[in-house]
Amino acid sequence: MKQTFFYILALIISFDGFTQQDTLVNTLKEVVIHGDPRLKQHSVGYKVQTLNDSVLLKNTESFTNVLRFNSPLYLRENGVSGVSSASFRGTSATNTAVIWNGININAVNNGQTDFNALTVSLYDGIDIRSGGGSLEYGSGAIGGSIHLNDDLVFSAKKKTTHQFVLSAGSFEAYNSLYKFKMSQSKLAINAGVSYNESENDYPLYDTDFKNENGAFKNLSLNFNAALLLSKYSKLKFYNSNYWGERFFSGELPNPETAKDKYQNSNNYFLLVYTQNKYKLKQEARMAYLFETYRYFADRAFDDYDFGRAKRYRFNYDLSYRFLGIDAQITSYSEYESTLGKADKISEKHRKQFSQSIVYKHDLSDWLNYEAKVRQDFNSDYKIPFTYALGAQFKASSQFFIRTNGSKNYRVPTYNDLYWPSQGNLSLVPESALQGELGIGFKNDVVSVDAGVFYIASNDKITWIPNGDPERPGVWVPINIDEVTSKGVEIQVGVEEQFHKHIVKLQANYSFTQAIDEATKKQVIFTPEHLFKTNLSYNYKLFGWYYQQLYNGMVYTTASNSEDFVVPAFFVANTGVDFKVLHTLQSQLSLGVKINNLFNEKYVVRPRRPMPNRNFNINLNYKF
Amino acid sequence: MKLSKLIFKLFILSLLLLQSCSQDDDDTVFPKGDYENGILVSGEGSGAGTGSISFIANDFSDSENLIYKKVNGTELGTFLQSMAFSKAKAFIVVDNSNTITVVDRYTFKKEGEITTGLATPRFLTVVGDKAYVTNWGAAVDETDDFVAVIDLNSLQLIKTISVSNGPERIIEKDGKLFVSHKGAYTNNNVISVISINDDSVKEIVVKDRPDELFFSDSGALVVLSEGRTLYDASWNVTGHTQAGISMINTSSLSVDLELTFEEGEHPSLMVYEDDMIYYALNGAIFKMNAEATALPSSSILTAEGYLYAMEVEDNRIYATNTSFSDVSTLNIYDVTTQEKIDSKEVALGASKIYFN
Repeated sequence: MKQTFFYILALIISFDGFTQQDTLVNTLKEVVIHGDPRLKQHSVGYKVQTLNDSVLLKNTESFTNVLRFNSPLYLRENGVSGVSSASFRGTSATNTAVIWNGININAVNNGQTDFNALTVSLYDGIDIRSGGGSLEYGSGAIGGSIHLNDDLVFSAKKKTTHQFVLSAGSFEAYNSLYKFKMSQSKLAINAGVSYNESENDYPLYDTDFKNENGAFKNLSLNFNAALLLSKYSKLKFYNSNYWGERFFSGELPNPETAKDKYQNSNNYFLLVYTQNKYKLKQEARMAYLFETYRYFADRAFDDYDFGRAKRYRFNYDLSYRFLGIDAQITSYSEYESTLGKADKISEKHRKQFSQSIVYKHDLSDWLNYEAKVRQDFNSDYKIPFTYALGAQFKASSQFFIRTNGSKNYRVPTYNDLYWPSQGNLSLVPESALQGELGIGFKNDVVSVDAGVFYIASNDKITWIPNGDPERPGVWVPINIDEVTSKGVEIQVGVEEQFHKHIVKLQANYSFTQAIDEATKKQVIFTPEHLFKTNLSYNYKLFGWYYQQLYNGMVYTTASNSEDFVVPAFFVANTGVDFKVLHTLQSQLSLGVKINNLFNEKYVVRPRRPMPNRNFNINLNYKF
Repeated sequence: MKLSKLIFKLFILSLLLLQSCSQDDDDTVFPKGDYENGILVSGEGSGAGTGSISFIANDFSDSENLIYKKVNGTELGTFLQSMAFSKAKAFIVVDNSNTITVVDRYTFKKEGEITTGLATPRFLTVVGDKAYVTNWGAAVDETDDFVAVIDLNSLQLIKTISVSNGPERIIEKDGKLFVSHKGAYTNNNVISVISINDDSVKEIVVKDRPDELFFSDSGALVVLSEGRTLYDASWNVTGHTQAGISMINTSSLSVDLELTFEEGEHPSLMVYEDDMIYYALNGAIFKMNAEATALPSSSILTAEGYLYAMEVEDNRIYATNTSFSDVSTLNIYDVTTQEKIDSKEVALGASKIYFN
C-alpha cells in the first residue's frame, strides 16, 4: 500500500513538472492556508464556531476550560486535570471527534480524546462543528467535531513574528508558550513550544483536605511548514508532539488515598501535497500518528499498564470544478492501517479503506447545497453506508436558513473488541441518523444562529454484567442502547465599536433532551441546560473580559434517581489586561485573571470539589 | 481483665451521661435507633453514585436508601466493600478510600473513622476491643498484604500482621482468625490461620480463589473456593481450575472433605443458615445439607438479573439484582415455596446483606 501511495505521489509531482512556473506569486499579498480546508469548503448547512488564538489564550490552563467556557459542549472532568471528556448534543464522549489538521486523532484504545491530555494554546484556532461528520472525519463524529488547526501564511513580503505568553497562578500553576511564525512568498513556517505545570493542590472546600496527588506537567512542540512549489502546487508538513505527566487526585471522603500516575504522549506527522490547476484539484496526504500511555496504579512503584497505537493514513482527493454551473465534485479515498497494543492486548492490526464522493453546488446566489456519500471497508466489522446532505438558503442579505441531515457511525474501540476475556468480537459500529434545521441572521454588528436538532442513535455500545447470556456476571460490551436526542442550540455574537470603545459578546445556550429509549429517561451526565457567555470590552490600551457558565443539573443513574445527581452550578472568570507596549513591530500586554470570581462551590463529578477563587498574572509579548 | 476494665469504664461513663441527661430530661429510656430490627444492604457504589447503605424493616413495611448520608450529611464514597458489627457499633469498610467509618449500628450516626494504617481494606471482624482488618496493600505488590489490628477505643492501628497475597474475608473462633485469600488482583489458594496470642500464621491450602467462609454447627470451617479461569498469552480461555467447598477441622487444620465442582463451574456467594449451605452458580441458587458428601444436582431457584449478593434468614432468601449504573433491587424469596415474597429498591452496586 505504501508503495502505491508513493507511486501516486510521484505521478502527481511529475504531472506538475509540465505546468509552467510563472511569477504570479509575486503579486500575492497574503494567502492563509488553513490546516483543514475541507471543513471550510464542505460545511454547507452546518454551524461552525471558530475560537481564534486570542480566545484560546484566555484559558491556557486546559483544553477542557477552553471548551467549557466557549463552546456548546458539555465537559465532564474528574477534577481539575483528571480524565476529561466532551459531548455534543446529548451524545457520548466517544461521539465527539477531535480532528488535527483534518485528521481524526481520537485514541485507538478507548475511542475518545482526553481533553486534559492535549495542549491547544499553540494552535492558531479551533473550529467546532456541531452535527454529524463521519462522512468527512470517519468514526466518532456523531455529535460533532472539534478541529485543531495550524495556519500557514504566504506573504509577498517576508514577515517574522515571535510571541511569548507566560502566566503564573495560584496553586503553583505556570503556563508558558513561544510561537514562531515566518512567511515568505514561497515558504511559510509556524512553530511553537509550550510547557505547563501546576501543583494543582487547591483546598477542597468545606473540608480540611487539599487536592492531593493532582500535580501535572506537560510539554508540546509543534512544527509546521508549507512550501510553494509552483503557482499550482504546494507541499505542506505538519508535526505535533505532546508529552504529559499527571497524577490523578482522589475523591472525598478520603482524597489522600490517591496514588495514581498517568503519562501519555502523542506524535503526529502529516505530509500534504496539493495541486490546483484549472478545473482539477488533487491532494495527496500521508500521515503517521503515534500515541502511547502508561498508567501507574501506585506512583511509588515502577509497575504500569500501557497502551500504544500506530496509525498510518494515506489519502488521495481529486476534485473537479464545473465552471458553467458553479459546482464541484470531489472524490476522497482513504486507507488507514492501525496497529494497537496494550499490556493486556496483543498487537492487533485493523485496516480500513473508505471512499467518498461529495457534490457541492452553488445553485444561485441564494441557494447552495451539498450531497455526500461514503462507504467504508473494514477488516474487523461491517461499517454502515453513510451519507449527508446540507443546504443553505439565503433569504436576504442578512437572513439565512440552513439545514443538514446525515448518517454517522462510531466503530468499537480496541478495548471493546479485545479486552482480555471480556472484549466482544461480534460488536457492530454504533450508528446515528440525524437532522438539523437552523435560522440565522448576520450583519456587521450582530450574528445569531438558532437551530433545532434530532439525533437517533442505535446499537450504542455499553459494558454490562450479564451482557453475554452464556457467562452471567461477566462484564462485556454489547450493542444495546438506543438514544434519541433532541434540542435547541442558540448562538449570539455581538461586536460593536464606537470611537475607541470595542464591545464583544458571545453567548451559547443549549437545551438537550437525550432519552434512553429503554428507560425513557434522560441519559446520564447530560445537562438539559447549558448557558455560556463571554463578554469583553476594550478601550485604547485597556482590556477587560468576563466569562461565565451555567451548567444544569445532571443525573448519574439510568433511572434518574434524585438521590444521585450533580447539582447545577454557575461559575465565572474575569480578567483585565493592559498594553504596555503597542507599536506595529511589537506589542506587550500584562494581565490579571480571577478564576471562579464568585467563589462558587461546585463539582463536575461527585465528591470532587472544584477550585475556589484563584488568580493568575500573565504576560503576552509579540514582536 | 481488660474487658472488665472496659465495662467498668463504660459503666462510669453511662452514669455520667445519665446524670447529665436527667438534669433536663427525666426520661432515661432511649430507643436504640431507626435502623434496628431490619435488613441492611450495602452497595459498593460506582461512577454513577456513592457507596451507600439501605435499610429494610423486618416486616418489609418500610425501606430507606442512603441511610448514612441522611443521618450524617456526607457520602461514604467508593467502593463500600463490607460492614462488620460489634454490640453497639457498625464498621463500614470503604476500600478505595482507605477508610473505616464507625457508626452507631442502630442510629447510623457517625462516631469516628479510621483512615491511617489501611491500604485497600476489605473485611473486618471484631474480637473484644480490637478489630482485625484484611488489607490488600499496594495494587502492584503481591507481598505487602496484611491484617491490621485496630484498637477500638482509640481507633488507632496497634500493629499489622503480614499475610499471603489477597486476604479477603476474616472470621474468628477460639482465639484464631481464619482468613480466605482470594488473591486480590491475581489469584491465591490458601486460608490463613492467625493465632491472636502470638500473631503466628499458618496456612491451609484449598482450591483456587477461596472467598466466603463460616463455621458450621458441627464446628467445621466451611470454605467456598471459586476456581480460576485459565488464559493463554493472548487471553484466550485455555481451561479452568476446579472450584470446591472445603470442610476444615479448626483444631488440626486439616481438610476433612472437599466437594468439587465440574470443570468450568465457578460458584460464589456461599451462605449458611440452619445447618444448610446455600451458594450461587450462574445466577441459580443451590441448597445442600452442611453434612452432605455430594453437591446438589439441581438448583432451588434462579434469581432475577445480576445476582451479586445473597443471604438466607428465617426461611427466606434475600438475593440482589445488582446494578452499578443505577439503584439495585433486593428480591426476597420463600425458601420452601421458592416464590417471590417482596422486592425493594436498594443501594447502587448492592453487594452485601446484613441483619440488624
